[in-house]
Amino acid sequence: MFDWMNILWGLFYILVFPGALFTCCVGLFLAGIDRKVIAHMQKRIGPPIVQPTYDFFKLMGKETIVPARANKLVFLGAPILGFVSLALIMLFVPIFGFTAFSGDADLIVILYLITISGVALIAGGSASGSPYAGIGISREMVTMMSYELPFVLVLLAVAKKVGGASLVFSMDAVAAWQAENTCMAFQWSMIPAAIAFLLIIPAEVGMQPFDVAEAETEICEGPLIEYSGAALGVFKLNTAMKMCIMTGLFTSLFFGGIRTGYIWLDAIVFVAISAVVTLICITTVHAVTARLKIEHLFKFFWTIVSGLAGVSLVLVWLGL
Amino acid sequence: MFNKLIDKSAAKSPWLYHINTGSCNGCDIELVACLTPRYDAERFGFKLAGSPRHADIVVVSGPITSQSKDRLVRTLAQVPEPKCVVSIGSCPQSGNVFKGSWSVEAPLENYVHVDVAVAGCTPKPEAIMEGLYKAALILQKKREAMHK
Repeated sequence: MFDWMNILWGLFYILVFPGALFTCCVGLFLAGIDRKVIAHMQKRIGPPIVQPTYDFFKLMGKETIVPARANKLVFLGAPILGFVSLALIMLFVPIFGFTAFSGDADLIVILYLITISGVALIAGGSASGSPYAGIGISREMVTMMSYELPFVLVLLAVAKKVGGASLVFSMDAVAAWQAENTCMAFQWSMIPAAIAFLLIIPAEVGMQPFDVAEAETEICEGPLIEYSGAALGVFKLNTAMKMCIMTGLFTSLFFGGIRTGYIWLDAIVFVAISAVVTLICITTVHAVTARLKIEHLFKFFWTIVSGLAGVSLVLVWLGL
Repeated sequence: MFNKLIDKSAAKSPWLYHINTGSCNGCDIELVACLTPRYDAERFGFKLAGSPRHADIVVVSGPITSQSKDRLVRTLAQVPEPKCVVSIGSCPQSGNVFKGSWSVEAPLENYVHVDVAVAGCTPKPEAIMEGLYKAALILQKKREAMHK
């Protein structure tokens, strides 16, 4: 027998609260804060905080051109694939005490879903048939390879820390462990992993020092060059959603122990911490750095960032 | 349901694409000056886009040399509707000091409908900002006309 109540709640989770709508709204809010604060750092007034929302709705109202050389199905399907995979991630990230869907291997599911959104960008870019997009997708692939290694190492360190003797890949267990003990960020053996994760966030979102794939001034936003109208709008929304997801993932991995008991208050604290993380690792880094070359990015992530994550992993393995 | 919001957004986030059709670089520098902290066009949502596919407002500077005419027309055709064309400086309007040259095919009006023309050699950043802002309002009207 179907349990209709459960299905309705499931739909509500997917479409509204931790799923699509919540992720979009928080993502656009974080993107707005990012643009406003960076404007203030450069002594400008800057756009209003709702500017990314205006951008999104404007793009929804524009004509969507499909180039003659493009594969129409993949070209228009890729942004939707990315959107769906990103909308699902937030269901597995606990907002302190609350998780929509929980299982034994949430962390691995999250890892794969984030990768799907990157693959969607690559698929869309390659379907557009533009040489600039070709350069963009090759760089995007290298960027993905660079940050996946330290990302997995960080997740392994967290899983080992929570599991003790064995690895535990459940986000719920991570949240529960932090509620019992202290936040992961206050464990000194986890601090290198936290720093590594903070450096992974801008690469994942595609922000300034690590935006080689979408270098606006160099290869005209790479994979997105042929996109216009609603399809471009969805890709821009995907970037904003990634911002929400990555900072949210940081919050629940390293500051997951804060529980007030009220879900709405939890959500507000969650968004507030995410905003602070955005300011630290996206805005400030964006303001003070210039774009790296692709080989420097690769080297940086496989040596320094992976090194930091590895130090944490070794410390945790030694039982510290 | 969202039509009103989309119409309003059309005026709030105009992205610029800049085409130099043989300009002396004077107008180009002044356009870039608009985006600097002193004038900060981003507070109205203006942003330089890298690809004509992302653009709402196409900014044309220069007297349209014979070499660049074909490229100009092709680039303008790639911009999705609704779009606005803004000409900066006297060159696209009349040819300025280059008028009569065998290599200059000046009035931009011959090839495309110009929504806003900012005159001057070179126009001040304030004048360019005003022209761009007017173009943003025209964008909103064009968007409203699209679904009526």
